[in-house]
Amino acid sequence: MKSRIPCYIKVILIGITLSISESAFSQNDTISKSDSVLLKQIEKQMNSQDQSQKAAPTRVAPSTLPDISVIGDFQTSYKNNTKHNFDAGINEAELSLQSVVDPYARADFFFTVGKDPATGKFTFDLEEGYLTTLSLPAHLQLKVGKFRSALGRINPVHPHALPFISLPTAYENYFGEGINDEGASLSWLIPNSLFYQELVLQVTDGPIDNPSFSRSVGNTYFELAHLKNFFDLSSNATLEVGLSGMTGENTFNLRSNIGAFDLTYKWKPVQFNTYKSFTWQSEAYFSNANTPNDKVVNSFGMYSFINFQFTKRLFFTGMYSYSNKPFSASIYENSYSATIGWYATEFQKIEIEGKTTSSNVEDEQNQVLLRWIFVIGTHGAHQY
Amino acid sequence: MKRKLGIAVIILFSAVTSALSANKINVVTTTSDLRSITELIGKDKVDVTSIATGYQNPHFVDPKPSYIIKLSRADMFVTVGLDLETGWSPQLLSSSRNTKIQKGSNGYVDASVGVTLLQVPSVINRGEGDIHIFGNPHYWLDPVNGKQIARNICDGLEKISPENKSFFEENLIAFDSKIDLKLKDWTQKMAQYKGAKIIAYHNEWVYFEQRFGLTIVDFMEPKPGIPPTPTQLVKIISEVKSNAIKVIISSPYFTTSSSDVVSQQTGAKTIILATSVGAFDSIKDYFDLFDYNIDKLIQGLK
Repeated sequence: MKSRIPCYIKVILIGITLSISESAFSQNDTISKSDSVLLKQIEKQMNSQDQSQKAAPTRVAPSTLPDISVIGDFQTSYKNNTKHNFDAGINEAELSLQSVVDPYARADFFFTVGKDPATGKFTFDLEEGYLTTLSLPAHLQLKVGKFRSALGRINPVHPHALPFISLPTAYENYFGEGINDEGASLSWLIPNSLFYQELVLQVTDGPIDNPSFSRSVGNTYFELAHLKNFFDLSSNATLEVGLSGMTGENTFNLRSNIGAFDLTYKWKPVQFNTYKSFTWQSEAYFSNANTPNDKVVNSFGMYSFINFQFTKRLFFTGMYSYSNKPFSASIYENSYSATIGWYATEFQKIEIEGKTTSSNVEDEQNQVLLRWIFVIGTHGAHQY
Repeated sequence: MKRKLGIAVIILFSAVTSALSANKINVVTTTSDLRSITELIGKDKVDVTSIATGYQNPHFVDPKPSYIIKLSRADMFVTVGLDLETGWSPQLLSSSRNTKIQKGSNGYVDASVGVTLLQVPSVINRGEGDIHIFGNPHYWLDPVNGKQIARNICDGLEKISPENKSFFEENLIAFDSKIDLKLKDWTQKMAQYKGAKIIAYHNEWVYFEQRFGLTIVDFMEPKPGIPPTPTQLVKIISEVKSNAIKVIISSPYFTTSSSDVVSQQTGAKTIILATSVGAFDSIKDYFDLFDYNIDKLIQGLK
């Protein structure tokens, strides 16, 4: 059967072909340009022998060592409804090694020494370790290794960089301490001239010890897609809207699916961006879990927080979260928290948080947490 | 028929605009000063965008994803370097997926190359505040360094577009000549204030200070990046009184609350100088930056 292609599709196809051929020609052109540049550089160097040049400035000795940093996270907490009400100590120490590998890729490693809350013993673990390409065509970027999944706004961020201490109840109920898994991630910067759009596709082995998903012993992998849309509303305000979808095996060796939506509004005056800012961030999770006896559980969780920066060093975060559990839509939890943060410099901050959580199945839990985060060495910037 | 004609017009329009923009070198600079100098060297052969605005602190630019779009299409990237933009530009560059502008590529221009640096630390210790391991990075505030920046940008443009070498070289000669001419005027104006003592908010004026013979006695910040403390204010008030200092210079992105306190106590004027092109509406290019600052400073020192 002969298919008919509409006229406008033909026009688009011709346009794409022309663009590709244009870039192909420009690549050839670049090669010839490079040759002539080399010749010109040699010429220039020979001609510049007699030209007076400034003395080479004093610079720190170059090094091939990667950027190295250690982040300390000292925490102390009080919780009611537990036998051991007070706790204090180094919650976690993170060692990061980050560098460009060669012109084609960079590598990032994050090791953690974390305290097991049950035994109090410290264990050394690979938090993340991945290679990111720098030179794929068509605005693609590939990441392989162990990495935090591109789910919403909280999961990709290391906890020390969040403006609160305890994770949102909804996030904890569905993802525990986060989805951090081994596999591959392909990101595509969508050629959209109106606003920033990035599509991320990830396939990993499947998380371990996660409330919603488990690592399959068979051939079921954890698959995730995230579409990030970022808009500059003005020079001072931005809006990010994200959609995530993920699927994988659950603890019953059946399939669970979660759809997530995130919305972030930021206001930061360009001129005084170190003195004041405002962020409103929300995420919602829609879970569809298959359980034994053909029972399907549809449940929901969400959080929303505002973060005010009053002065250069003083921040306030207020958060609300509502959540079911992945395998029980009849359980619900409500939590409220307030965090005050004091940032001494960009290398040190102290935060104190009060949080109350109520539920229709458990007694109300109240907790007060204090953490002191500090970094030595060179640590890469976090995402905006 | 009308529909086909409409489509043909759209294709033609797209082809013409694409051809016009394809002829220009697409440059992204980290700061507006580098944008201005690139425009003066590249003129109609370049299309230049700056990430930071002229009234923004270049140490603390938020790495918004929208900048990645600009970088992904750039032929050339120009950076101040010396770790000034270390908190934001490396992340943007690696997210751009653009091999042409990565460090080491032809399209990566470090404007600091060849600049004689000041305040290069012999010992690196964060206890001294926000120090820069390679030296003070605010070197563009000496117009003579502007010539070296222009040389570096010119070299970068020539690597990308060698067929326009003579055009860029001509523009570089014109730029250098104008700097030399203006420098005579600026130094002449400042001559009677040689050795004038001033207070600065942040340690970012050392190149300007040295070029125009000023003496910065102290800083409002007790250490670079650390906000003024009451103890520091008391010290500054005492220094202003004992040295008969007339002027405290600050930048558009710092609040004036602490320098206002010193002004009230001593009568010294707080003057907001421009650290970059575009800091104020009247500062359209790199030459205006020094015209503005010197006029403002002289008004304060009179």
